[in-house]
Amino acid sequence: MRDTYGRYGTVKSFVSPLFFVILLFIVFFFAYEVKADNSYYANLLVKSALAKKLHEDSYWWTLLHYKKSLFGIESLIDDPKFFLSAEGKYNPKSELEATIRAFFFRKNAEGADHPICRFIARYNWLKEKLHIDDSKLPVAECEQFDRLIDQLKPQSASIVFPTIFMNSPASMFGHTLINIETDYKSKLLSHAVNYSALTDESKGLFFAVKGLFGLYKGYYSILPYYQKIQEYSDISQRDIWEYRLNLTESEVKRMVMHIWELQNIYADYYFFDENCSYNLMFLLEAARPSLSLTEQFPLWILPIDTIKAIKKSELIDTVDYRPSRATKIKHKLSCLSEKGQKTALKILNREIESQAILNPEIKKDEQIRIIDLLIDCTQYEYAKKKLSKSRYQDILLEALQARSTLGQPDENLYNIIPPPQPDEGHESNRLSVGLGIKENTFFQEVGLRPVFTDLLDTDYVRNEGAQIEFGDILLRYYSSDNKLELEYLDLIDIVSISPRNKFFRPISWKVNTGLNRKIMSDGDESLIYRLNTGGGMAFHNNYLGLYYMLMETELNLSGGFVDNYCLGVGASAGLVKSITNSWKCHLSAKQIYFELGDTHRASELSLLQNFRLSRNSCIRLAISREKVFDFYQTEANLSFHIFF
Amino acid sequence: MKKLLIILGISLLVVNIAYAGSVKENCGCGLGTMVFQENDGLLSQICAATTNGIFGNQTFGITSGTLECDRPAKLVSPMASKFVSENMDRLAVDIASGHGETLETLAELMEVPVEKRTEFYALLQYNFSKIYPSTQVTHVDVINNISAVIGQS
Repeated sequence: MRDTYGRYGTVKSFVSPLFFVILLFIVFFFAYEVKADNSYYANLLVKSALAKKLHEDSYWWTLLHYKKSLFGIESLIDDPKFFLSAEGKYNPKSELEATIRAFFFRKNAEGADHPICRFIARYNWLKEKLHIDDSKLPVAECEQFDRLIDQLKPQSASIVFPTIFMNSPASMFGHTLINIETDYKSKLLSHAVNYSALTDESKGLFFAVKGLFGLYKGYYSILPYYQKIQEYSDISQRDIWEYRLNLTESEVKRMVMHIWELQNIYADYYFFDENCSYNLMFLLEAARPSLSLTEQFPLWILPIDTIKAIKKSELIDTVDYRPSRATKIKHKLSCLSEKGQKTALKILNREIESQAILNPEIKKDEQIRIIDLLIDCTQYEYAKKKLSKSRYQDILLEALQARSTLGQPDENLYNIIPPPQPDEGHESNRLSVGLGIKENTFFQEVGLRPVFTDLLDTDYVRNEGAQIEFGDILLRYYSSDNKLELEYLDLIDIVSISPRNKFFRPISWKVNTGLNRKIMSDGDESLIYRLNTGGGMAFHNNYLGLYYMLMETELNLSGGFVDNYCLGVGASAGLVKSITNSWKCHLSAKQIYFELGDTHRASELSLLQNFRLSRNSCIRLAISREKVFDFYQTEANLSFHIFF
Repeated sequence: MKKLLIILGISLLVVNIAYAGSVKENCGCGLGTMVFQENDGLLSQICAATTNGIFGNQTFGITSGTLECDRPAKLVSPMASKFVSENMDRLAVDIASGHGETLETLAELMEVPVEKRTEFYALLQYNFSKIYPSTQVTHVDVINNISAVIGQS
């Protein structure tokens, strides 16, 4: 049609009036035909959209999840169903054109799958930008979507962040969800939007590798929030932070439109970047077009980083803390006398009946405290599969019957003080500079650690010790020899120190692998590969702090060893103590007996101290002495760390 | 492309079966019914495998009732019924202690006027043994028992 129009213009000035009239007639005839199926109007809209360069508009890119890639433009969505143009994944312009034309497709039976309803966020945005006259469209309303809005009644939204539970490697980084709140007051009735990989596996190396290379498909899903609370608080024992967003009702509705577009649509799932948290950012951008959240991240994205980004964009209104069952139990334990704790333990071990608590000699509030603790512990043990279902039901019901006779406590018995907000902790990447002395040689050093926390960290955890580091690298420069050396490269360094008490008996453990320097049998240092694992137990004491003992195994590989390797077992012990809120120490000792390969002993004693200077900086002082083969080495260094 | 469709088809089928399974289990469910199993694999929380069809039947707002389940007493909306069936244990604890978020939610779903809530909570707590009389109690019983308790007061 566009061509005919153009020819009409040139024809007009060159030919006779009669010919002109005939031609005019033909043109009108065609125009009429076109009007019948509205493609004339569609053409006009496409023209206008292209003239306005809507295909370059950031909101169009948000709705289609377009990103610049090495080879041009690419949508992160991999499902062909999501695109109306065959080139849609790589071409925002042809997708825009195809989308506008698709709005004029003949209506099918219910109008449900009509592109106007299927891609309702695109339609609404284009309608606003192009002032589309909807009387010319084949579909007047989207019944299914309207019914959804009617039932969801979206009012507001929150970002939900189940934090890490230190003793579980599965929850190393946390997770995020978006809650869509309805006109109910209860938060339990909100809808939790989740982006996750569709897989039946959730364990093992195969799973991890597939996840790294995007071999799983990620889908958006919606579940009642109470189910997610049960999953995280009651089963996985993870505290939840709820960040209420300041999105308006119409912004939330826009977000729902985009979620609707994404139903049954997949994108390849990558653990490190295109993961749950990252993909939720598109939903927020869809809600408020002025946001640009998906641009801010480097190669890896931690859920906590997305929370920080949201905070920076001034989206956060209020913050709520929802303690997990394990956190509640710990708190309830601390509220109870030693005697009360023992009574609860006896009932839990079925040495006495719950009814025994209803003893007038025990004060009513104490009775309530004991039973409440008992109820939580029973549910905790059941979730951990340490109780059979029938036994669980018996103990729970008996305890609840006793509890129901006690009425309300006289005052609020439990007042759990929330831990520091995770978004107020330091940034995840760390750059370090330092200087020190090894035996009689001075050195300067520079290091980079991409993620994320270690045992000396003052921010993330209080009574538990956690270290989660990947790709930690340190270079040292010795000015006397004028040489630059790689001191270590820790590929993975995870330590989980979880204290035990009467009620909890977690295992503490560590895994460390990477390259580091070691004194060899000739007394010189050499770069070796190391794999070191350990397991054991830890306890916490208010005066001593957190102390632990681990049995360890260590494998070293290097051409410098006899037989190229050595394998040993040994033990380590340590004490982690927060002296003030910004001063933390870690004293540790370790001895390994290498009995296979190049046989020798290695022992080490070290004291590390961390002083927090500001939210994103700290200084550290480390002193260590080690003996490997028969050589002693003493080292001291002072370093400055900045988080970014 | 064809292969892709087959894989997609199979994976959707798997989800559907898994989902159907969980629905059945939630039906007329009693104490100790766990909706979720612990998912403790390496990195699994980044990609918890609990995907369901978006806006599917499990979505709260859309459901017209607990699928395949018995409908309990007239007093209670399908949504309240579904809520009770999926929160049996939490609700039991809240009723026995006379307060809690799950109990507040039930009151809201049952449209108990705000000024009468304190009384409502106390009434249910007092009658806990009538509402949860045995370990074999199902959500249908619980709702019927709550209705009976309210009816008597």
